[in-house]
Amino acid sequence: MAGKKRQREADERLDRLGRELVRASASSDSEAEAVASSPFLYARLRTRINAEVESREAGESWLVLLSAFWRSAPAMALAAVVAFMMFWSASPSTLAPGALSEEALLGTSETGIEHVVFADRSALSNDEVLATILNDEREASR
Amino acid sequence: MDETADNPDTAHALSAASPDGGPPDAQLVARVRAGEDEAFEELFNRHRRRVALIAGRFFHQREQIEEIVQETFTKVFFALPEFSNRQEASFAAWVARIAFNACYDELRRAKRRPESAMSNVSEEEAAWLKEQLHNEGTGSDVEANAVARDLSGKLLSRLSPEDRMVLVMLDVEGMTVSEIADSTAWSASKVKVRAHRARASLRRVLGRFM
Repeated sequence: MAGKKRQREADERLDRLGRELVRASASSDSEAEAVASSPFLYARLRTRINAEVESREAGESWLVLLSAFWRSAPAMALAAVVAFMMFWSASPSTLAPGALSEEALLGTSETGIEHVVFADRSALSNDEVLATILNDEREASR
Repeated sequence: MDETADNPDTAHALSAASPDGGPPDAQLVARVRAGEDEAFEELFNRHRRRVALIAGRFFHQREQIEEIVQETFTKVFFALPEFSNRQEASFAAWVARIAFNACYDELRRAKRRPESAMSNVSEEEAAWLKEQLHNEGTGSDVEANAVARDLSGKLLSRLSPEDRMVLVMLDVEGMTVSEIADSTAWSASKVKVRAHRARASLRRVLGRFM
C-alpha cells in the first residue's frame, strides 16, 4: 500500500516535471511572431509556390509520356513477339547451338563452297570429256 | 465565385465577417480560386502569425519555424480547391490542421536524423534535472529556463513524433482531446491512448535521472 502510494507520488512528480519540460521546449510567442513578421516571408513563399507549380507541371508532362508509353506497351510487346516468331520461322537452320558453333569454328557445314567442291568431285574429268568427244567423232566418221 | 452563391453553407460563411473587418476568409478563398494572387496574400497575412505560433510550439530555431510556415502555406495554396466551404466556419482551424501536420512531418524527419540523443545530456544537465525532480519545479530564472529548454529538446527527441505531438498539443496548446482528434484525424480514443503512452514514455525517460 505504502509502496503504491510512493510510486504514485513519484509518477506525479515526473509528470509535473515532464509538463514543464514540454512547455519549456516551445519557443516564446515573441520569437514566433518575429518570424511571422519577417518582411520578405511572403516573397519567399511565392517563390516556393512558383517553383512547386513548375515542378508539378514538369512532373505532369512526364506522367503524360509515361502513361502513353504504358498504354502502348502491350502493343509493342505483341509486335516484338510476332517479329521474333517470324525471324525464328524464317531461320534457314534449326541446328542445335553446339552444332552451329562447331560448324562456325571448323567450317564443316554445307556452305556454298562445299557444294562447289562437291560438284567438282562429281563432274566429268577432262579425260572423260575428251574420250566422249573422240567417241562421238569416231561414230560420226563411220 | 458565383458557383458558391447558391450554396447555403457558403452563404452563411460569406456572411461571417472577418475579425479585422475585411472580407471573410471564404470570399478570399473564392477570389484565390478565381486567380487573384492578392487575395492569397491577404489570407497569408491573416493566418501567418497563428501558423508561426504553432510551429514555435515544436521548434525553436527560426529557420525551422519559417520552414513550417512556408510548408504550411504552400500546402494551403495547392489544397484550396479541395477546401470545402462547409468547413469555412473554421478556415483558421483548417489552416491550423495543415500546420500541425507539417510539424508532425518535420518531427518525423527530425527523428530520422540522429542529432540528439540521451547520451548528449551532459553531467551538469543530468544533475540539474535530478535537482529539479527533488525540488519539484524547474524554477523561473532565466538560466534555469535556458537549461530547461536545451534539455527538454534533448529529452523530447527520445519520444516518438506521435507522443511528442500529443504532449505539445495537451500541455502547451492546452487543446482538448476532441480538438486534438479533429486536428490529427485520429479518433478520440486513440488520442487518449496515445496521451497515456506519451506520459509513460516521458516518465521512463525522466525516471533514469531519479
